[in-house]
Amino acid sequence: MMLPTPLPVLETERTLLRLPEARDAEAVIAFLLDKDRAEGFGAAENRGEAWRWFALNIGHWHLHGYGYFTVEMKDSGEPAGLVGIWNPEGWPEPELGWVMFAGFEGKGLAYEAALAARDWAYAVLDFETLTSNIVPGNTRSVALAERLGATYERTYQNVHMGEDMLFRHPGPDALDADGSVEAYA
Amino acid sequence: MSAMTLPIPVIETDRLILRGPKESDFEAFNAFGESERAKHIGGPYPRFRNWGGFLTTFGHWALRGYGMWMLEDKATGTPAGRVGMIYHESWDEPELGWQVYDGYEGKGIAFEAATAARDYAARHFGLDGVVSYIDPANTRSVALAKRLGAAFEREGTVLGHSCHVYRHPKVMEAA
Repeated sequence: MMLPTPLPVLETERTLLRLPEARDAEAVIAFLLDKDRAEGFGAAENRGEAWRWFALNIGHWHLHGYGYFTVEMKDSGEPAGLVGIWNPEGWPEPELGWVMFAGFEGKGLAYEAALAARDWAYAVLDFETLTSNIVPGNTRSVALAERLGATYERTYQNVHMGEDMLFRHPGPDALDADGSVEAYA
Repeated sequence: MSAMTLPIPVIETDRLILRGPKESDFEAFNAFGESERAKHIGGPYPRFRNWGGFLTTFGHWALRGYGMWMLEDKATGTPAGRVGMIYHESWDEPELGWQVYDGYEGKGIAFEAATAARDYAARHFGLDGVVSYIDPANTRSVALAKRLGAAFEREGTVLGHSCHVYRHPKVMEAA
C-alpha cells in the first residue's frame, strides 16, 4: 500500500487536517445526503451510497497516498469539512478540493485548510501544479479558488459532474514560504 | 481500529491466492464491471463507477475489518475474480459474495474460493451462517449457492434490486 508514513496531520490556526476515521462517517454521510450543499461535490442518493463514498475516500488514500482529509476543529474536535487532493479515474488532473459542513461555512476555514493542503501537496507529494474543478454556478467555490490565487482555465465535460470549470492554482514556485500568492501579498 | 488499518489476510487454496486488491487489478475489475455479466450485481457500470467500487473495497476492509479478496490464479498470477464478505451500509447483514472473471468460469474456482472465504469468515470474523444475495436469474450463482450447501430463505432487496436470500450452513457447528 502507498500510505505515507507517518500519516500526515496538517495543523492550521483553527483546524487539524487528518486522515479519515470511522468516527467521521456520520458527518460525511449527512453532508453527502444534503442535496443543496453537496450538489457541487457529488451528492449521494441514499445512505448506502454515502457510506460507499466514505469508504472510497479511504481507498483513495491507500491507492494514491493522498485523498480528502477530515478537517477537524481544534477547539471542539468536531469534523468541519473535507479538504484534500483528489484524483479519480477520468479526471483531467489531480485537484485540490474542499467542502465545509453545515455550520462551518463563512468563517474562512476552507481557505485556511485548502492553503495547508496545497502546501503539503507541493512540499511533500512534489506536485508541480494543481487544479480545482468547480461546477458552473458555484460562486462561493469560485470566490475561494480566486482567493487562493487560482485562475479559470477552461470549461470541459467531467465524467461525473457534467459541465465543469477547471481552475489552475499557482505552482510551488509562485508561492511564498507561507503558501500565499506573491502577487497578492 | 484506525480507518487506515488494512487487516487483509492472505489465504491459499489449491489453485488460488486470496489477497487484498492491488492497483494492477483494476483493469480486470473494470472489465467485469463493464461487462454484461455485471447485470446480476446491478450493472453494467461505467468505468468511473467501477473506479469507485474498486477503491471502496479498501475502505470496506478498513471500516468493517473484513471484505472482498481478489482471487489470483496461482499458475499465472492473473486476477480470476473476487470473493469475500460484503456489508455495505444498506445491507441487511453481511453476505458472502463471489464474482468470477472472464475465462475462469466452469472450473470450480468460485466454489474453491467461496469455501475458503466462508470458512475464514466463520473462524476469524465471527461471521457464520451467513447469507448470499442472489439475482434469481443468475442461475450459475444459484447453482453455486446450492453446491455450497446454502438454501433459499426469503426474498429480499439489495441496492434497490429484488433478490433471493440464500442462507449458508454454519461452519462452526456446535463449536
